Amino acid sequence: MFKPNTEESYTPSYNHSTQPDEVETVVGPSVVVEGDFASEGNILVKGTVSGNVQTGKLLTVERGAKILANVKAGNAIISGSVRGNVRVEERLELTESAQVDGDVVCKILVVAAGALLQGKVSMKGIEIQELHPDRKKLSSRNKFKLASDVESEENQ
Amino acid sequence: MYVYLYDNFLKQKRHESVLKAMETKLTDYGIAGKIIRLQHYTSAELLVEDEIRKGAKTIVIVGDDTTFGHVLSRAASCKVTYGFLPVGQDNAIAQVLGIPLGVEACDVLARRRKLRLDVGWVNNRYFISQLHIPPSNISIEYDESFKVSSTTGKMELVVCNLKPFIWTGKGKQYVVHPQDGKLEAFLRPVVKSKILRKDLFEAPSIFPFAEMVVSSRTPFPVETDGKVSKEVKITIKLAKSRIEMVVGKDRKF
Repeated sequence: MFKPNTEESYTPSYNHSTQPDEVETVVGPSVVVEGDFASEGNILVKGTVSGNVQTGKLLTVERGAKILANVKAGNAIISGSVRGNVRVEERLELTESAQVDGDVVCKILVVAAGALLQGKVSMKGIEIQELHPDRKKLSSRNKFKLASDVESEENQ
Repeated sequence: MYVYLYDNFLKQKRHESVLKAMETKLTDYGIAGKIIRLQHYTSAELLVEDEIRKGAKTIVIVGDDTTFGHVLSRAASCKVTYGFLPVGQDNAIAQVLGIPLGVEACDVLARRRKLRLDVGWVNNRYFISQLHIPPSNISIEYDESFKVSSTTGKMELVVCNLKPFIWTGKGKQYVVHPQDGKLEAFLRPVVKSKILRKDLFEAPSIFPFAEMVVSSRTPFPVETDGKVSKEVKITIKLAKSRIEMVVGKDRKF
């Protein structure tokens, strides 16, 4: 009677407001934008953009939308496809239908199951200690020990 | 000195009582003045300039959105303070400016909260409320940086200055109140037109801009503040802080 829930629907944690009052720039589904495209407010892409996209706020690329150039944004939710490098200041979210072919730079990365990403991922804020200085310390201590051993041997 | 420009439609009897109440209130406030009735062929620019020469400091437009657009699209270059007393049905701009309908508008006028407003500039003339291009084969270039076209062909373009943009989609009515400081372009590609013999529009694409060039191979109609003309290429810009206007506390910007 009731169909089992086989498909888990992924909902982005960022709720992009669909209220037109809050969205500054909207590229509709059958609209094609050619050229570099910058906005001070939120950008919602439902169509095709063939050129660099830049915003200091939230960029949302909806399912079926295409961006064929580099992207720079404050935050981004990608459900469509992007062919180009993606540089996001804060949080980048790739939903299950996202396809990104390019290098990604961001602070926080959220990738849903099914999202496709091909490129180098660089994230700010990595604090892993380098292994080489420890090795140097270890080797110098060994050398010191060896020298002391030699001295004691000579005394004996 | 105050000069009041009454629209021709205010001659109708149904507006008589509101106008009388307004005139009484304006007299109480001590801001009553000369009344000029606008006719269809009155040149607003010449009229306002003439009144400025005679000593007018405030020009008050009495009427609706059409009256407001008709007067200010011609007289925006005149250096005088403008006021607005909205009367009648079609009054969306008054709401944006925070001016209530009818007699209460006199209170706003008496308070004289002045603000400089931006106006639109298209092919060497101003537009105050909206610029409308019905569905046409147009291509648009924004700020000399990117071009916008439609995969379906025809597009409708609405550029809002003070008049809000209203559209219905998915059973809901959306209202976008334009902000002062920039112009907003609403582009709606026509999705189906032949099958139903009716233009169906896609949800609008919104682009805020400073300068826009609209061009086409064939002439397309352009409607600005009630005036329709046919053009092949138009340049739309924002003229910053062009008019000084008495506005209300509850304005939308």
